[in-house]
Amino acid sequence: MANRRERRAGRGRALGLVASGLVALLASGCAIVEGPGLGLLPTRPQTVSDAIGRYDAARDASLRLVIAGLDEDTAGRPSRALASYQRAIGVDPTNPYAFLALARHHLEGGSPDEASAFLDQARALFETQDGLGPEVDVWGVGLRAGIDRALGRHDEADALFESARSLSPSVWEDEWLSASELR
Amino acid sequence: MAKAGSRAGRKTSERGGRGGKGGRGGSDREAPPPGLLRARRLGLVVVALAFAAGIWAAGWLLELDRVVVSRFEGRRFSVPSRVYAAPIVIYPGADWQRLDLAGWLLRTGYREQKDDAPLAVGSYRWGPGRLRVHLRGFEHPQLPEDDRKVEFRLAGGRVAEMRDDRGGRVPVVTLEPEAISSFFGGEREQRDLIEIAEVPDHLIAAIYAVEDRRFEQHHGIDPRRIAGALLANLRAGGIRQGGSTLTQQLVKNFFLTPERTLRRKLTEAAMALLVEARYDKRQILEAYLNEIYMGRRGSTAIHGIGEAARFFYGKRVADLSIDESALLAAVIQSPNAMSPHRHPERAKKRRDLVLELMAEQGRITREEAEHARGRELSLAAISLESGQDRYFLDALAKQLPEVYDDELLSVEGLRIYSTLDTMLQRAAVKHLADGLASLEKRLGVDTKKKGAARLQGCLLVMRPQTGEILAMVGGRDYATSQWNRCTMARRQAGSVFKPVVYAAALAPQSGPAITLATMVPDEPLRIDTPNGAWEPVNFDKQFRGPVTAREALERSLNVPAARIGQRVGISNVVEMARRLGIESPLPAVPSLALGTAEVSPLEIATVYATFANGGLRPTPRSFIGLLDDRGVGQEQWPLAGARRVLDPGTAYLTTSLLEGVVDRGTGSGLRARGLRGPIAGKTGTTDEEYDLWFVGFTPEMVAVVWVGYDEPKAIGVPSSRGALPIWADFLSAVTGDEVRGAFVKPSSVEQIDIDPQSGARALLGCPEHRPEYFLAGTAPEKTCPRERFFRRRGFFDRLFGR
Repeated sequence: MANRRERRAGRGRALGLVASGLVALLASGCAIVEGPGLGLLPTRPQTVSDAIGRYDAARDASLRLVIAGLDEDTAGRPSRALASYQRAIGVDPTNPYAFLALARHHLEGGSPDEASAFLDQARALFETQDGLGPEVDVWGVGLRAGIDRALGRHDEADALFESARSLSPSVWEDEWLSASELR
Repeated sequence: MAKAGSRAGRKTSERGGRGGKGGRGGSDREAPPPGLLRARRLGLVVVALAFAAGIWAAGWLLELDRVVVSRFEGRRFSVPSRVYAAPIVIYPGADWQRLDLAGWLLRTGYREQKDDAPLAVGSYRWGPGRLRVHLRGFEHPQLPEDDRKVEFRLAGGRVAEMRDDRGGRVPVVTLEPEAISSFFGGEREQRDLIEIAEVPDHLIAAIYAVEDRRFEQHHGIDPRRIAGALLANLRAGGIRQGGSTLTQQLVKNFFLTPERTLRRKLTEAAMALLVEARYDKRQILEAYLNEIYMGRRGSTAIHGIGEAARFFYGKRVADLSIDESALLAAVIQSPNAMSPHRHPERAKKRRDLVLELMAEQGRITREEAEHARGRELSLAAISLESGQDRYFLDALAKQLPEVYDDELLSVEGLRIYSTLDTMLQRAAVKHLADGLASLEKRLGVDTKKKGAARLQGCLLVMRPQTGEILAMVGGRDYATSQWNRCTMARRQAGSVFKPVVYAAALAPQSGPAITLATMVPDEPLRIDTPNGAWEPVNFDKQFRGPVTAREALERSLNVPAARIGQRVGISNVVEMARRLGIESPLPAVPSLALGTAEVSPLEIATVYATFANGGLRPTPRSFIGLLDDRGVGQEQWPLAGARRVLDPGTAYLTTSLLEGVVDRGTGSGLRARGLRGPIAGKTGTTDEEYDLWFVGFTPEMVAVVWVGYDEPKAIGVPSSRGALPIWADFLSAVTGDEVRGAFVKPSSVEQIDIDPQSGARALLGCPEHRPEYFLAGTAPEKTCPRERFFRRRGFFDRLFGR
């Protein structure tokens, strides 16, 4: 009897573990599957440096050139930054981070339309490579908000910034993405 | 009064004397003797003549002075603007053989250094499994680079790693952009202007030693040198030695013709004196060093020591060593006869003579001369520009702002930084030429027959994400035809237009009118038009009954394409073509669906780039910026973002269709040739086989091949045998066996199994399944038909052969 009770208890514990595992999985799945603005869990954004080593040699070289460009942007040399991004695209034209960096660069430079076009490109490339998980879309959501803000679409901007902040408060608290944060 | 009276009396007397001239009396003075009178008259004539000559000479000198001043103080030199390719980036893992690192070293004038001395700037040294290079610094409109030493460690055809001279890892190296060509004026002179401050003392010393040892002392002409030359020539019985100073040589080259007349020599001397009177020695020397003729590279004349230093040694003039300077000075006297490339022994002998003179005159020490004499010539390889790059240059010139006209481009010495990829361009030149030659051979074209029509072609390569033109060959020989068939020619598009029709029909805005699984009747069709009935037929004149939209495009069937055009509406097809980048006139007639419109290969490249880029249309661009002759940025054309003109789902469906063409359809010749990886493309053969197209793309590049005659004429083969092989050879050469990347479906597209016979959704038990892509929510609701299910052959059927 006791053995049977123990076995039953053991089974119960196992079921409990499986159930709690499922709940955890669903919760994490929500963070990946849901779109922005739906009360997402904070996520750790994947920076350009984080992406090194995940693809091939050409992508790594291209990412390093993007980093060089971000450093130039940080140092206030936008023309040199642009050339670095352009070389990064020359090495790997399908590197989404290069276009993301260009979108950020143009938003900072006061060209929201150009920024928007590059952001579209970056998002399309992310989508057809790793998928638009929150760890990369966090950049896009915030940049889109910044573009909307620059174009005077404040309601849309507020909503998107809200989503961006919920994904990464540290990055988007100030509603601004610096080159060093993306680096 | 007495004084006045006497003066008046003298005057009277003189007057009387003159009045009495010829008279008989009236004067008490004797007439001067006739000889004296003649002498006086002669004297007067001489004075008058001298005065007139003086006036004339003054005028002449003033005119010469005006010429001198206007040349010296205006634009002194015409410097053709030079066009540079995009820089090559090297990184660990890069295929250095495919990137042609060794060829790049030769083409950009790097020299192999075989001794163990520290690597000089612009030199390299091969070792086992490694290549050490002292890279030159270079200018760039946005991101110039300093010179640096890099060691490339090589293994298995790849760069294993890169190290700097302190042993630190280098993640990425950007190589100096190659100069691909120049915008020459009529004279085809190339020069690289230098300033006197950057010229090393030993180069000036070498030139003084052999060309004009008293340059610093004389005033433009050197009587001692003239006397010496005269004596030497008298002894030799002919002209063996010139007495010209550097100033005279400059004047001769700058202002005068090469004729040998006394008048020309006098003018030269006068101008030399004027130049010396007006300008200081350093200004004169700088002008001389920039003007002097130094030889030829192909059809281009090399002028000035700046260009010569690059041509002979692949380095800047400031970096020349003593022996190299001596060679440059040695060449000046007779650049063609002393050409170190053609006559190395002769050139070396004269170089040694220059070194001897330098030592004799105390300009260098004996030891320096001896050391320099021991050096080999060690010249950079000559790289002749390919005339075929000029198609790209012409296209580039049209994209530059209007202010940069032909005249300005040929004199201003601009440095134009382009998007051209030299590796792709060389492959494009080679494979278009080889492909056309091979096709003519197969067709039996008598190429030796005078006036025989020759096949022409275009090969254009574009980066879909940015619109950068990476390669462009607009014909088989620029020397005989400058007509750029990539940008200027408008030819019938044929079947390469069909994807535009399919994209219009697949796009959500049209309903969508079709899905890839829609069954389209391949049956006789008659469409009434204002010009009569139009009855399209397939290339093989056969009809296949109902086919899926995918199959229809893969097999390039005309009748289903015409039906789809009708279903979506020709005006929508025109609208889609405009959105995708076609600007040529598009007649809104039913036959447009089969590509009867005339378009340029560049337009077609833009259309396919938009598919490859997920519906984002790039703007074609061929340059990124330019610097003036002092290296100051003048224009920049930064990357522009591509514009969304097609939803990602429709772009992906169209790409998927075009992948099918390559995997199973009319483009399957590519797979048969061993090309693997993500490739999408479309063949196109117009009526009578006048135009052969193949347009294909990978995730990273779009390439268009067009083949045809300038005066439309049947070629005699379809595009799968005419244009496709050229495309295949090109892609194979530039990518190797495997193409990088993948075409991945976006989230707006879902994959569902269908029954290829009916186009219905295939459920479990349906006899045939084929995965197909649909925009979300557009998959067929019909399921695989029951009769198909029951028609499935069971065990007993198979056993009894029923």
